[in-house]
Amino acid sequence: MIEDEGEGRPSLRVVTGGTARPRAGLEDEAAVAAFLVGDDEAFGELVRRHQGLVIAIVRRYARTAEDARDLAQRTFLRAFEAARRTLRRGGGAVPFKSWLVRIAVNLAKNHLRDESRFARAPLEAIEAEHASAPDGPERLERAERQRRVRQEVLRLPRRQREVLTLRVDAELPFADIALALGITENAAKVSFHHAVTRLRAGIEEDPS
Amino acid sequence: MTPTCQELAPLLSLRAAGALDGEEAARVESHLATCAGCRAEAEQAEAALDLARLPPFGPAERRAAGELPERALAAFRRADARRGRMRRALAGFAVAAAAALALLAPALLRKPVHAPAAEQASLTWQSPDPDTLWSETDVLALDGSSDATDSSTLSTESTAVATADGF
Repeated sequence: MIEDEGEGRPSLRVVTGGTARPRAGLEDEAAVAAFLVGDDEAFGELVRRHQGLVIAIVRRYARTAEDARDLAQRTFLRAFEAARRTLRRGGGAVPFKSWLVRIAVNLAKNHLRDESRFARAPLEAIEAEHASAPDGPERLERAERQRRVRQEVLRLPRRQREVLTLRVDAELPFADIALALGITENAAKVSFHHAVTRLRAGIEEDPS
Repeated sequence: MTPTCQELAPLLSLRAAGALDGEEAARVESHLATCAGCRAEAEQAEAALDLARLPPFGPAERRAAGELPERALAAFRRADARRGRMRRALAGFAVAAAAALALLAPALLRKPVHAPAAEQASLTWQSPDPDTLWSETDVLALDGSSDATDSSTLSTESTAVATADGF
């Protein structure tokens, strides 16, 4: 249930099927509809609800924290635009979370391509923020192995990379991953296995 | 590696990601209890994912995420305003185009009137005088004083000169 407590704005009260805890999909759809008739609080609520997921998807591809935030922002704007078009056309489902995942994956893919073109390295923000003075050769070696494996993730074939990061970074169930990528759950699991196999092969080839 | 081991290999990757449950999980655990090779495989898969995993959000990322709802809403409103301006501009252009068409329509639709005979005569081809043409054009001038001549003019005049000379 969403209520607009702001003054001077159109108010909307959405009752979703009379259940105490409606399904998340319906909540999202109701919140999108509320925002599109003027409830700015609904926009903020939706962004807060899903920003962790979206940033988790895009941060691997971003150079800085601001870079990740901007990618996340573009993801939300496109999802709201898509929702508005759908609702204006007279309805249809608005699987907002699934759209967010798909849009974030696509923007991340384009961002990775653009960053590669300009020879800029993603992951810089994460590595810089978590870098600390190495307190032993073991930690130093582990940090180096992490860096190499994370780079290897970015070099995986697109589908494998998408499935792997949606599982590892966004912690999505394979059913949701399959839905967002438009593939079967089994295909998602097979891609994931191939990705893990490649990463393991890379580690085994690594002389260090 | 036995056929069972090969069959279970994809499940070991899923197990490393914490994506196994129920009957599948029980089957894999039962096999791992008796197969050292698969236990090693499972450990390697876990190690690979552990290395690939990103650290939790740091302070800068949390700060940037905290700004997201407000910034995204402002950006959405800006984009809306931009689209509104664009729509109004297009509407204005359409109205202006329609008005211009309404004014010009009678002239455009009017039946063409035959030109007088003298005017018709002036429209027929008359061979140019090569000498006059030569002197009137500066296409071959070498002093660079004809910098106002553009390439299309040059091309047309060159053709005319060549034709007049009988080439």
